Amino acid sequence: MYPFRKTTRLLLAATFLTAMPQLAVAASPATQTSSKVFNAHSFVLDNGLKVIVVPNDRVPAVTQMVWYKVGAAYEPKGKSGIAHFLEHLMFKGSKVIGEDDLPAGEFSKKIKRLGGRDNAFTSQDYTAYFQSAPSDALETIMRMEAGRMNGMLLPKDEVTSERKVIVEERKQRTDNNPEARFFEQIRANLYLNHPYGTPVIGWKHEMEELSHKDAVDFYKKWYAPNNAFLIVSGDVTPADVFSKAIKIYGAIPKADLPKLAYTQSPPMDASPRLIMRDEQVKEPGVYKVYRTPSAVQDKDAALALDVLSEIMGGGSSARIYQSLVVEQKLASNAGFSYSGTVRSDADLYLYATPLPGVAPERIEEALNAEIQKLLKSGVSEAELQDAKTRMQDSAIYARDSLAGPAMIIGRALASGLSLDDVEYWPRDISKVSREDILKAAQDHLDEDKAATPPIVGFLLPKEGN
Amino acid sequence: MRASSLIILFFFALSFAPLKSVNAKESVLDIQEVKSESGLTAWLVEDHSVPVIALNIGFKNAGSAYDPANKQGLARLVSNTMDEGAGSLNAKSFQKELRDLSINLGFSAGRDNFSASLKTLTKNKKRAFELLELALTQPRFDKDAVERMRQANQSRIRSSLSDPSWIAARIMNDKAYEGHPYSMNNGGTLSSLDNISIKDLKAFHEQRIGRNNMAVAVAGDIAADELKTVLDEIFSDIKTVDLKPVENIDIQNGGQTFLYKHDVPQVFIEIMQPSIKIDDPAYQAAQVMNFILGSSGFGSRLTEEIREKRGLTYGVYSYFNNMNYAQSLAVSTSTSVENTGKMLSLIKAEFNKLAQTPISEQELQDAKSYLLGSLPLSLTSTDKISGLMLQMQLNGRSIDYLDTRQETIKAMRIEDIQKIAKRLLNPEKFTTVLVGQPELKDANIIKTLPNAE
Repeated sequence: MYPFRKTTRLLLAATFLTAMPQLAVAASPATQTSSKVFNAHSFVLDNGLKVIVVPNDRVPAVTQMVWYKVGAAYEPKGKSGIAHFLEHLMFKGSKVIGEDDLPAGEFSKKIKRLGGRDNAFTSQDYTAYFQSAPSDALETIMRMEAGRMNGMLLPKDEVTSERKVIVEERKQRTDNNPEARFFEQIRANLYLNHPYGTPVIGWKHEMEELSHKDAVDFYKKWYAPNNAFLIVSGDVTPADVFSKAIKIYGAIPKADLPKLAYTQSPPMDASPRLIMRDEQVKEPGVYKVYRTPSAVQDKDAALALDVLSEIMGGGSSARIYQSLVVEQKLASNAGFSYSGTVRSDADLYLYATPLPGVAPERIEEALNAEIQKLLKSGVSEAELQDAKTRMQDSAIYARDSLAGPAMIIGRALASGLSLDDVEYWPRDISKVSREDILKAAQDHLDEDKAATPPIVGFLLPKEGN
Repeated sequence: MRASSLIILFFFALSFAPLKSVNAKESVLDIQEVKSESGLTAWLVEDHSVPVIALNIGFKNAGSAYDPANKQGLARLVSNTMDEGAGSLNAKSFQKELRDLSINLGFSAGRDNFSASLKTLTKNKKRAFELLELALTQPRFDKDAVERMRQANQSRIRSSLSDPSWIAARIMNDKAYEGHPYSMNNGGTLSSLDNISIKDLKAFHEQRIGRNNMAVAVAGDIAADELKTVLDEIFSDIKTVDLKPVENIDIQNGGQTFLYKHDVPQVFIEIMQPSIKIDDPAYQAAQVMNFILGSSGFGSRLTEEIREKRGLTYGVYSYFNNMNYAQSLAVSTSTSVENTGKMLSLIKAEFNKLAQTPISEQELQDAKSYLLGSLPLSLTSTDKISGLMLQMQLNGRSIDYLDTRQETIKAMRIEDIQKIAKRLLNPEKFTTVLVGQPELKDANIIKTLPNAE
C-alpha cells in the first residue's frame, strides 16, 4: 500500500486523470511507530456518508474532498471513459444546498472568487472532487459539493463540446506519447477480461459515442452519500465540521446501490511478451509487470511488498538502480515499484532504460537475475531496518501539507482500507520481517508459482532508425 | 508532464497574492532577516508545528545562460553531480546517508540562477547541514558518477525527442532568443554533454558558487539564533566570485511562424511576445490582466472561449516568463491538426479584445478576490514557504513585498488593467512555434531540431 509514496514518474503509475491538468500533491507532527499519523476524526451520517476530519491549523485554509467509490472499473461494456467524462460534466451545472443553482461552468469560477482552487480526478476505483480555500469559505464549498451529490443539472448541449475536450485530453496524454500508448497495451494484456485492462480515459472510438444519457445513467446509479466519503483537512475543528456536515449533507437521501462484481481473468497460460516498435520512440525501454495482491486483498503481503519496493526501488541507492546502472553499467535508469492502494489487483513493475548498444534482452536477463537473487536469498537485516526507518520518516513528512493527508486517506479508503490502516501504517510496517518479505516475493514474483504470468515489454525505436 | 509546468505557473501567480489577515497591519507572512556573525543573511519563517526544516539557496547569475555554447548543459550536469559524493564520501556512501536519514538534498540549474534545496527532519538536522556544506564546498565529481549522470542526461534527451512540447521549447528558445545565450538548451545536447570534462565541472564550482551572489531562505522548525550559527557553519568556506551578467535581449522573430513536422495527432502551439520587467510599476496590473486573459484556467478568457465554448483543447494557458535579462508573455496549448488555424485566430482575437476593450467590474473583482484570497494555499508546507522566500530575494523584492503587493492589488482599477493591456498585448509581435502536421501557408519550416543532437 505505501500510502506515503510520492507519485512516481512513470506513466504506468499515473492511473488517475484530472479535470484540468494540475494537481500538486504534497503532504505534518512526529510519530512514534505506535502513534497515529494524522490523528483524524471520523463520523458517519444517517444517510451513510462517512466524514473524516484532519485538523491542521498552520494556515487559515481548508481542503474539502468528496470521494465516490466508483471509477472506470464500474463502466458498462462499450462505455469506456464514462466515469471520467462524468467527472468533467459535474462542472456543467449543479444545485447548491440552500443557495441558487450554479449554471454550467460556474462552479470553478465561484471557488476562485472565494480565493480557492478546485479540481477532480478519476481512477479505476474512485472519482474524487476537491477544493482548497481560505477556511472561512468552508460552509459555502460544502453547500456546493453537497448540492451536486444528487443535484447535477447537466444541460444536453454541454455534452458535445466537453466530449471534444476529453478526446483532446486523450490525444494529449496518450496518443501523442508512445510510452503511454505502450502502457495501455501492457495493461490490456495484464488484465485480460478484467476492468483494469481498459484505460481510465477510455478507448477513443468508445469515447466518441458517449452520450448525455450515458453520463446521467452512471451518475444516478452510483453517486449517493452511502457510496461516498467526505474528508476535510485544515484549519477546522472536528465538531464544527460534523455539525456542518449533518446540516448540509445530511438531507441527501441514501440510494440502493447495485452490487459490484468485477469480471475476472481466466487462467492465463501464455506468458505475454509485448514489443512495440514506433517511429516516435527515440529511447528504448524494458518493463516487467506483475499482478500482485492489493492491501485490501492481502494486507500482510502488501506490507511486505511495500518494504520490498523501498529496498529494491527507493531511489539511487536502492538495489535495482545500484545493480543495473551503477555496478553493471547496462542502463541509464532503472527501478522497481509497487502500489497496493487499489481495490482489485495491484501492479508491481520493474523497468530500465538500456544504455546505447545494450540489447533489451540483456536488460531483461539482468532484471531476472535480481528477481532470482531475491527469491533465493531475500533481503538483509540491514536493508530491512534502513527501509523501515525511511518509510516511517515519510509519514512525518506527509503531515507537512494541507491537501496531502486528505489525498492519502482518500486513496486508502477508496481502495477498501480503513482509517486505522492509514493511521497505524508505521506500526504495521515496523512488524514486517525478512521472512514476510521472502514469502511475499516467492508467492508473487516467482513466475512458476504466480497466479498470472508477468508481462515483459520492449518499447523500441523503429528498425533502421 | 503538463502538470509540472502549470504548478510553476500557479506558484508565480500565487506568489503575489497576499493573505487576508484579521488585522490589516499584520504581515501576511512573518519573515525575519537573520544575520550571522560573519555577515551572512538569510530570510527565515519560524514554524514549529512540524519537525521539518527546509532551506533554499540561490546563486544569482550562475545558471545555464553562462554555459559555453559547445558545452551546453554544464550547469545542469554540475547540478546532477554535486550530490553524487563529497569530501571523503563517494557517490554511493553520500546517497545512502541522505536516503537513510530521509534528507532531501538537491541542486538545480535554471537559465539565470543555480540553486540548492534541503529538506530534513529536525532529528537529523545536524548531519543534514554537514552534508549540505560538504556538497557545496567539496564536491568530488568522481569519474564514475559524472559518466552516469552524463548518460542519464543523454537518455533524457533521447526520450524527449518524442515529446512535442519539448520539441516546441527547443525551437522557441532558438528563435525567440536568437543570438543570445538563452537560445541554448539548458539541459545540454547529445554532443555538447560529451564535451564537458571533469575539469569543467570543477571550474564551474570554483567560479560560480560564491557568497556574494548567494541568497538563502529557511522555513520550519529552527530558531533564529540557531540559524545564525548554522549559516556560518555551512557557508564559511564559500569564497567570493566574479560574475559577468549576460546582456538583455528583446523577443526576436516577432510576426514569424515556425513549423516542425512531427507525426502525432495533435499540434502543439507555443507563442511568445515581448513583456515587461518584474520591477516595472505596472507589473502587478499585468498579473491581474493575465489572470483574466489566461493564467487562471476556468474562468479565464482563453479557457472559456477555446475549451469551454468550443471544446478545442484540454488546456490553454498564458503565462509570464520573467528571466533576469528577457521578458515574455507566452501562450501554450495543443489541439487537433484540423483546428490549428481556428485556434491561432481565437488566441489573437482574445489578445486584441483585451487590448482594445475595458474589462468588466466583475472580472476585476473576481481576479482580485482570487489573487488576494488564495495566498494561504501557497504557504501550506515548509518547503513551499522557503521556496517562495528565495524567489522573492532572487527577484530583488523587499521583505514586506507580500504586504505591499496586497495593497497594490486592492487599489487596482479597470483603467490600470486597460492601460497595461494596451501597452503589452500585441499579436503582431507573436513568435509562434507549431509542432505537428498542420496545413499552414506562411510558416517557416524547421528541418533540423536546434540544440538537441
